[in-house]
Amino acid sequence: MDDIKGKIAQLEDYIMKKCLWQFNSRAWDRKDQNENILKISTLLLCEEHFIPETPADRCYWVEAVSLVDAFKNRYPWISALNKTEKKELMEALKERIDFLTITGSLNKELTDPLY
Amino acid sequence: MPYHEFKCSECIPERKMHAVVKGPGEDITMALPLGYLNTIPGSISERGCAYCGAKHVIGTPMKDVIHLSHGPVGCTYDTWQTKRYISDNDNFQLKYTYASDVKEKNIVFGAEKMLKQNIIEAFKAFPKIKRMTLYQTCATALIGDDMNAIADEVMEEMPDVDIFVCNSPGFRGPSQSGGHHTINIAWIKDKVGQVEPKITSDYVINYVGEYNIQGDSEVMADYFRRMGIQVLSTFTGNGSYDDLRAMHRAQLNVLECARSAEYICNELRVRYGTPRLDIDGFGFEPLSNSLRKVAMFFGIEDRAQALIDEETARWKPELDWYKERLKGKKVCLWPGGSKLWHWANVIHEEMGVEVISVYTKFGHQGDMEKGISRCEEGALAIDDPNELESVEAMLSLKPDIIFTGKRPGEVAKKIRVPYLNAHAYHNGPWKGYEGWVRFARDIYNAIYSPIHQLSLLDISKDEIPTGNGFVTSGMIANAGLAEEVISAGDLRQYSGKYDCVSDLKNKIYPDFKKVTEE
Ligand code: SF4
Repeated sequence: MDDIKGKIAQLEDYIMKKCLWQFNSRAWDRKDQNENILKISTLLLCEEHFIPETPADRCYWVEAVSLVDAFKNRYPWISALNKTEKKELMEALKERIDFLTITGSLNKELTDPLY
Repeated sequence: MPYHEFKCSECIPERKMHAVVKGPGEDITMALPLGYLNTIPGSISERGCAYCGAKHVIGTPMKDVIHLSHGPVGCTYDTWQTKRYISDNDNFQLKYTYASDVKEKNIVFGAEKMLKQNIIEAFKAFPKIKRMTLYQTCATALIGDDMNAIADEVMEEMPDVDIFVCNSPGFRGPSQSGGHHTINIAWIKDKVGQVEPKITSDYVINYVGEYNIQGDSEVMADYFRRMGIQVLSTFTGNGSYDDLRAMHRAQLNVLECARSAEYICNELRVRYGTPRLDIDGFGFEPLSNSLRKVAMFFGIEDRAQALIDEETARWKPELDWYKERLKGKKVCLWPGGSKLWHWANVIHEEMGVEVISVYTKFGHQGDMEKGISRCEEGALAIDDPNELESVEAMLSLKPDIIFTGKRPGEVAKKIRVPYLNAHAYHNGPWKGYEGWVRFARDIYNAIYSPIHQLSLLDISKDEIPTGNGFVTSGMIANAGLAEEVISAGDLRQYSGKYDCVSDLKNKIYPDFKKVTEE
């Protein structure tokens, strides 16, 4: 358990310090971004197929490719995990990023009805 | 993460919720400063007004336009000499400032007639310029002048001109940020979709939230062109009015300053389905990742990689020369909005400095989320500080340098803290690979300036050493360095030109053939 927590902390640190996609200004937008980008990242990490079909998909995919490359470069342990472990890890990571940026966020603007 | 109460603001208890210290192991769900709220009465804010945000930040960088403020001349103060968003048409928009010069009598009798005369006079004085933006100010908004009606009348009488009306008087929002929002929405509502552009590449972007401070956007446009990407418009640095009316035809919006321009990207996404890709143009690693991502969107990553390799090989040894000399220096990162998160992590990683405080004048809570996430533990984060709080923070944190605007910057100098102008730069551009080295050089020059060292002595009480000889920045910096660093042959000081932007205007780019039909 501690082991997975430590691993998630490393991935979280990268996302929070280096990425911008998780910080769009409305809760629904953050939800979309987190869901799509981390879903595609999981597929890529597990060497599964993803073909972007719309321009929006392409943007998610671009962010996902960049994220997975960074994860593999910085944290070599990630490539040693098996598929199930990778999926579990990414699921827990998504939960954590959702918490930091949406459900646990203190940003009062997230639920502004405009946009 | 504990909230931080400034001693000087104990008499304004509401201020306590506007500052936090990032403690070990803490994150943004534990405490977040309030933001984008009306300044608390009694707190002398350093913010600008909503007119300033609309005109001086976003409107005026448009280069081929007469920018006319409808109001007293005082509102236009922040134009000449204070802004450095240059343009490749001889800085037309910086050289001339226009105001309708509203006086007391106009407040009583109305200023519309005078406004119309002013508009016509300005077009006649500059017959080659056919585009104008009109900005509302507090006084003319309060008397209810109908600028749209006047603009329509003039456009009917002068069919070859086009006028954009921006109704963002100073009081429309808590800070300049309100003005950013208003002008974004007004532009997409009133102007986007009116011009059909010539598409010259298979890969077309708008570069949004970039204001060409000392040439930043020209540097970035150079990178995009080298990759064969057409920059249809830049919102708004060095941007052209008619190009910006064609924003709807881009395939991708590349967004730099999300604080000031996410609104138009969000609208373009909803209305035209153009996605938004947020990037960081500052710092080698973030910039390389950003260029790679834009290229990957179009499937031309190899072009990005070639550019990244070339630029990194040319400039990295120079960045590292400065990093060796800046390591461990304490920095207060106190810009207006987006630079707090653009820089918070990368200056630490690539220049070795310690960010001990971040603040934002007009940022929203989202900017603080990004900024606090990106800075290291122990940093003090402040929203909309007043001058006394800034002074208290500087006295207690003892930074080696602060990056801020010119007003708080002058205050810093008075208490012997060197500052760099985070909005207008010192010797920019600071974007791009070479630009990032220029930023490092400016930091180095500020911290190690012999004049700054002299200013630390108080002639009314300190003993003034008279036996010391001449010193240079290099001598001061070297004093703390190991011999192998001083003599490291693979590192070198900045070797670029004084002006690294002008030559870009005449540059010839590779001809990547367009394959798709329009
Ligand atoms: S607050 Fe009003 S009067 Fe003051 S500069 Fe802004 S627009 Fe002009």
